[in-house]
Amino acid sequence: MNRKQLASFWDQYGTLCILVIIVIFFSALSPATFTKPDNIVQIFVQSAITILVALGEFFAILIAGIDLSVGSILALSGMITAKLMVAGFHPILAVLIGGILVGIVLGAINGSLVNFTGLHPFIITLGTNAIFRGVTLIISGANPVFGFPYEFITALTGNIWFIPAPVVLAVVVAAVLWFVTAKSRLGRNIYALGGNRDAAYFSGIDVKLHTLIVFMISGVCAGLAGVLSTARLGAAEPAAGQGFETFAIASAIIGGTSFFGGKGRIPSVVIGGLIIGTISNGLNMLQIQTFYQLVVMGSLIIAAVTLDRLIGKTR
Amino acid sequence: MKGIVKTFGGIHALNGVNLNIYPGEVHVIMGENGAGKSTLMKILSGIYQPSAGEIIVDGQSHSLITPKQAAQYGISIIYQELSVINELSALENLFVGRMPVKKGFGGEKRETEKRKGSSFVEKLGVVDWPLMEREGAAMARGLGLQIDLRKPVGELPIAHRQMIEIAKVLMRHTRVLVMDEPTSSLTNVEIERLFTIVKQLRAEGTSVVFISHKMGEVREIGDRFTILKDGSTVGSGMVPDVTNDDLVRMMVGRTVKQFFLTEHAIDREQAPVLQVSNVSSYDKRQVVDVSFNVYSGEILGFAGLVGSGRTELMNCLFGTMARASGKVELNGHDITTRGPVESVKNGMAYITESRRNTGYMPNFSIKTNIAVSRSIKISPMRGLWGLIKDREESAIAEQQRKLLRVKCASVEQNITELSGGNQQKVLVGKWMCTEPEVFIFDEPTRGIDVGAKSEIYKIMRDLSTAGKAIIMVSSELPEILAVCDRIAVFHSGSIADVLDGSTATEEEILNLAISGKGNR
Repeated sequence: MNRKQLASFWDQYGTLCILVIIVIFFSALSPATFTKPDNIVQIFVQSAITILVALGEFFAILIAGIDLSVGSILALSGMITAKLMVAGFHPILAVLIGGILVGIVLGAINGSLVNFTGLHPFIITLGTNAIFRGVTLIISGANPVFGFPYEFITALTGNIWFIPAPVVLAVVVAAVLWFVTAKSRLGRNIYALGGNRDAAYFSGIDVKLHTLIVFMISGVCAGLAGVLSTARLGAAEPAAGQGFETFAIASAIIGGTSFFGGKGRIPSVVIGGLIIGTISNGLNMLQIQTFYQLVVMGSLIIAAVTLDRLIGKTR
Repeated sequence: MKGIVKTFGGIHALNGVNLNIYPGEVHVIMGENGAGKSTLMKILSGIYQPSAGEIIVDGQSHSLITPKQAAQYGISIIYQELSVINELSALENLFVGRMPVKKGFGGEKRETEKRKGSSFVEKLGVVDWPLMEREGAAMARGLGLQIDLRKPVGELPIAHRQMIEIAKVLMRHTRVLVMDEPTSSLTNVEIERLFTIVKQLRAEGTSVVFISHKMGEVREIGDRFTILKDGSTVGSGMVPDVTNDDLVRMMVGRTVKQFFLTEHAIDREQAPVLQVSNVSSYDKRQVVDVSFNVYSGEILGFAGLVGSGRTELMNCLFGTMARASGKVELNGHDITTRGPVESVKNGMAYITESRRNTGYMPNFSIKTNIAVSRSIKISPMRGLWGLIKDREESAIAEQQRKLLRVKCASVEQNITELSGGNQQKVLVGKWMCTEPEVFIFDEPTRGIDVGAKSEIYKIMRDLSTAGKAIIMVSSELPEILAVCDRIAVFHSGSIADVLDGSTATEEEILNLAISGKGNR
């Protein structure tokens, strides 16, 4: 295989290769626990939240932007869902309002601010990240909220047929978004926007509308992740999702999404999320303390992306 | 350069090119887009490595030249795409990478050239601004460039940026200066100045390699010529020994009849196809109360100086620039637009002046670039709704490729792999397939070879015959005189006068463009 073929192979399967390398690495270090079927399932479940947040983040990066507020959106929508259920709303209604609607609205706030001010999304979402977190703390009084219906927790942590519910949700969302990016005009317009914003504008693409939609997608993904997180913990934590933007961005970038916009694929982002989940799980299996885990995680992210760039350089 | 071959993934971009450059001559390189001119120059400057052949400099043979060697030999290139840094001032741009350092602050040598190879510590130092200002001002004076050198380059018009680019190269030790279509965004006065400089350089013994498509320029300045076609040298000799027809024949491999305006009557008694009234931009200085009509079968040209507001007017019409007032009517229907989305839906097409900035998506294939605006037009909900019909789009892209004779391996190819002229054709194709009624061509032939130019003119003529309203902005007077039925001359934001294309002269247009008043 010459360099060029390697680069094109890497373009297609690079992210998958990194995943395989990491799996082999952890299997070798902790063969007993890591490779158990239960643990493999556990990795998928743990990755589901990261993947959901990363799927939304992918769109923000695709238009050469970023969404730093995903962690706070996750916390706020999880919190509102929990509050609604405690107040006596039916869980399904609570999820529709608290998870989906709140996610969309918060995303729409981000998108509108970006459109209205013309500032880079980095600045806007840096601000809204603090705002949304603040609102979460205010409405919860900085206390976790629990005591909601048992069915809510079992439905979202149990199995659908024999697949864990969070995995099903992540897969469904990924499939829908893949369809949007690969097959719809909306998706192609978003790629155009990322490739050359001015040219897209002059081609008749409604740049502001698409920017708004991108942030709404990012918001709703984080909102759904918030619902999952609340169910998983059995409580809505005001500090939930803190630092999640790092993992979301990392998943998208490891998945080959270009920071300059216009390039990236949904399946690779899903694998990127799995890589993050696997690293986290593997480090747990090796019984490495959480604080050290962060150090290792950060280093592995840099290493993975460097490897990707080194091999993909010839393209 | 002898027998230069360059292949990109099996495709021969250059196939045995020979080029001899003698000291103190202006050597013109001509050829259609994609003939390999730019590739050859990139090999000369060390950016590309040739697959075969040799480069002989001062009797010394090299199989390839590195960028460093090129600099040592004094080979400098001014590219078509400007490389000035917009955020820096003109002065900083002139000295970028080799700022002079004050004595006693780490810089023992004041000569800027000697700073090459100085240690890192020596590079830290206090910039000698007075020296820079002196040298920069002298250079600007030599070029007749009257600008504030401390202003960020981004605020200057494109023509001035190009002059700075040229000045930047001239400040370095240069024995061979390559200019890749340097005049494409310059006004006539600036071109004159540039030619004076080129002649001066020639007199000093510098060789100038001049890539151009314009016959007038070649005649005026060229001593020797080399013509490339499909990656090979097809002709070389002294410019005075050949006729223009000879040059064109060698370039395209056939005799191309010069494009003539076919005589045809335009009925201006009946209602115009397009009626534009009282358009003013929100910024009062840019477009001031412009009204005009375009009749069936007519191409209306907009001439004027660079920066006179023609492009701004087109932006006001297309809705990409804020408008204070104005009305646009197509066959009596109001199509005044609030934005580009509406313009596309209303049947307007705007081929912008900058392919790279406002033209194509670099991450898309030829096919997708062609399909993207059409998909907005046919989709309900502002282009949001609907799925991509891949087969249909392939068919449309293929159709446009054939119609416009785009040179490419496949429509799935990325658009950035095409030459400028072919990119332009793709962009024309992108708008053609939206089936518009109004076409705005803004500098449609910038950086395009003769063959492609006449093809574009023909497309424009065909469209106007089919009853579409055609507006063309161009800074090339011969072109505008040859193509347009009427010519609106723009002067500081409004139309100075509208001339008849068959009787107008270059002098007349220039006078109007410069003074705003006719000399009749």
